[in-house]
Amino acid sequence: MSLSAYVIRRLFYVIPVILGVCFLIFIIFNVVSPDPTISMLGKHATKAQVLELREALGLNRPLYMQYVDTVKSALTFDFGRSWSTKQEISEMIKQGAIPSITVTFPAFFLSFIISVALSLFVAFYRGGMLDKSIVFVCVALMSISSLVYILVGQWFFAFKLGLFEISGYEEGFPYFIPYVMLPIVITVILGVGPDVRFYRTVMLDEIYQDYVRTARSKGLGEKTIMFKHVLKNAMVSIITYVVLRIPFLILGSLLIESFFGIPGLGGITLKAVNSSDFPVIKAMAVLSGIATIIFNVITDVLYVVVDPRVKLE
Amino acid sequence: MKKISILVAIFTVLGLMTTSCTKKEMTKGKTLSLAVSSQVKGMDPIYANDRYSSNEVARVYEGLLQYHYLKRPYTLVPNLAESMPKVSDDGLTYTFKIKKGVVFQDDAAFPEGKGRELTAEDFVYSIKRLADPKLQGLGWWLLDNKIVGLNEWRKKYAELDKVDYSEEVEGLKSLDRYTLQFKLAKPFPQFLYALAMPFTFAVAKEVVDKYGKEFLNHPVGTGPFRIKDGVFKQTKKIVYEKSPSFREKKYPCEASEKFKNDGLLEDCGKTLPLVDRLVVNIIEEDQPRWLNFQKGKVEYVSVPKDNFDTVIPDAKNLSPEYKDKGIVLMVSPSLDVTYTAFNNDLDLFKKNTKLRQAMSLAYDIDKANKLFYNNQAIPAQSVVPPGIAGHIENYTNPYRGNGSAEQLEKAKKLLAEAGYPEGKGLPEITYDCPSNTVSRQIGEYFKKQMAKIGISIKVIQNPWPELQKKITTRNVMTYGIAWGADYPDAENFLQLLYGPNRAPGANGSGYDNPELNRLFKVASVMQDSPERTALYEKMNRIAAEEVPWIYGVHRQNFTLRHSWLKNYISSDFEAGIGQYLNIDKKKKKEMLKKL
Repeated sequence: MSLSAYVIRRLFYVIPVILGVCFLIFIIFNVVSPDPTISMLGKHATKAQVLELREALGLNRPLYMQYVDTVKSALTFDFGRSWSTKQEISEMIKQGAIPSITVTFPAFFLSFIISVALSLFVAFYRGGMLDKSIVFVCVALMSISSLVYILVGQWFFAFKLGLFEISGYEEGFPYFIPYVMLPIVITVILGVGPDVRFYRTVMLDEIYQDYVRTARSKGLGEKTIMFKHVLKNAMVSIITYVVLRIPFLILGSLLIESFFGIPGLGGITLKAVNSSDFPVIKAMAVLSGIATIIFNVITDVLYVVVDPRVKLE
Repeated sequence: MKKISILVAIFTVLGLMTTSCTKKEMTKGKTLSLAVSSQVKGMDPIYANDRYSSNEVARVYEGLLQYHYLKRPYTLVPNLAESMPKVSDDGLTYTFKIKKGVVFQDDAAFPEGKGRELTAEDFVYSIKRLADPKLQGLGWWLLDNKIVGLNEWRKKYAELDKVDYSEEVEGLKSLDRYTLQFKLAKPFPQFLYALAMPFTFAVAKEVVDKYGKEFLNHPVGTGPFRIKDGVFKQTKKIVYEKSPSFREKKYPCEASEKFKNDGLLEDCGKTLPLVDRLVVNIIEEDQPRWLNFQKGKVEYVSVPKDNFDTVIPDAKNLSPEYKDKGIVLMVSPSLDVTYTAFNNDLDLFKKNTKLRQAMSLAYDIDKANKLFYNNQAIPAQSVVPPGIAGHIENYTNPYRGNGSAEQLEKAKKLLAEAGYPEGKGLPEITYDCPSNTVSRQIGEYFKKQMAKIGISIKVIQNPWPELQKKITTRNVMTYGIAWGADYPDAENFLQLLYGPNRAPGANGSGYDNPELNRLFKVASVMQDSPERTALYEKMNRIAAEEVPWIYGVHRQNFTLRHSWLKNYISSDFEAGIGQYLNIDKKKKKEMLKKL
């Protein structure tokens, strides 16, 4: 089977996934979620108004028709407007995705490079003092709550030393840069701990393989072995780990966004859940589902690129 | 390792370089920088039902009336109205003359992009918009059943596909270009407050028609500020600039006694607004808001609860560290009340006043005040807060607990008389509260207090919409909540206990007392008068002694401002205050060096 046929076939999986996601959130919304009209109308809600608003939102229609509408909007990507802010959802996503990405993408790449480099390094010096101390530092970094990095980082680097902006965001390049520097640094620190430990394990798995011994006995240098053979073979696991995280980068990081005043998608999603803003929840769930599938396919394709033995069927 | 240190170095240099590359637009003229703690939904007046959205709406839009900036008790004065309205003898017809020569801000919606003059017809249109059944405006409760013919108009078009704004409504008419007349269905003296609330502010039909559903992002009003670039975006920063077409409006030259000596009249007679630019930063978390304030990037801020002890160590005066930086502390009571409501639908509470009284007596409010409000709130004796007519000065609720042994004995006695000696025979009582830390702590405190007389409480935390749902569906036994004033009138508080207002109306406790209902019905149609105040006080007393709620406190605002910010006073009704604030640029430059 050709690669393109495989990709197209896999992309068709999007349809059942959308149906499934819609079904799940629809059930959750109708069974456990509180009535959105009450929180929308606020403290002066009257019975008549609650009924009127339910009618206007289409909540009084038969459930199956509401479900059909849900699926229709998901398939056409026409998510309409938020119930609570009345803003157009596609516009909310567009406006929120860029600020989220300006923090998460640089942080993602930086932490990827730093973690892979560090893990190659510790794998090379495995068992030694350096390996142990780096692993120790990684575990220590992981053990501290992310809130501590945010609070202390913001207070010390931004407030005391004045190296960065305390919080806020400015649209457009390069104005956003001073605002995203500290969030990026903190995201990198948060990511490096677990990443290094994972990559190190992957590398060590490879280092004890027969092909490494063969390479050594052929007289290849350690550098060549590490970069050309170990890293390349470790790539399959690394790609699986890394690529599937990309779609979630767009969703941003809730805590970072809220403390640094970055108008990203993290906050939008949380607020939607808290106010039972069904159209927004639906949009975010459907888009995450689709992105997960797409990046799954990308992962599969990348397997072929890094390991010629892999065949897609 | 070397690589890492290089990376760190690059970051630091980049950081230093780019700190100075923030936009340069903020340097010319006076810029007022404010911080708010919640996202703003949009800029459509009819949806501005939370404090944050309505404050933003009121920077661009204006209404017929406003509160006098420097007077307490809160006093209504004309804004877009030429003078206060002529009210007919029966209290049903209100006739307004509106100011001539007021223009809307320039926008592409108008011919040649030039804002046109405001007319009485704009108010007719704007108020019909609030009543429009297709738009579901969130301030409809203000006018529901109040204006002759408006409910019928709303009902008629709820069933039709299209709403016809040109159809005349008997109680809402423009008599000529500058005369507006309201006819009320029944006397409703609080009606004037409605006209100072952003829900009823004037919008232009052309702008609504041009932008359609996107109108909420294209605010075009007659107000002192206009949004920069004309488009509101859901970001964390809203930038306004002085509206060039704003009419000649002057800073007031009169003030209540208490405001006369704080330099608040120095700008008397100056043209408003006093700053060229207004930046609203949305900072949801306490720490960044607090740090930004200390750096001088925000002009004023509420003291965060966690920093209270370091900032105001003796709970009265500002610590010298902050005083030296020129920071000023301002304390002001807010028109609100916190309470624990009983579900009066349950026979357990409905038929047992003594049980309610016993629980209220067992609840030590003084200690709660120390624990949760830094001992700075005012223990509530009944429902109406100080500062508005109907509040009874020096009145002590006989069932208000203060933790004394004597009161506990009395509580136990009442509990026995209620049929539950030492709590025996009582089911476990649930207490529902919002799911934030302080609310949970208050719940735990309530549990401990009730345990003293043998009552067992189960605390349940809920996300906010869930709590609201439980209250409206009567799925609660007791719950902790607060009420903030919509307008400065005791009616706004007493209606919380008016039987016909039961949930999903504002009376979440479902309390229904025929005598209180009767008095409320009489008082709610009376104009402000000593007789009405007497009725309010009577109701307030009934509400105290009958204990439909366990009263909590009336909170106080602790605000810090920088010395360069002029004319700031804290207000319960913040709509439009931005135009009065001023910045002393020289002083700011000087003081920033100290921060």
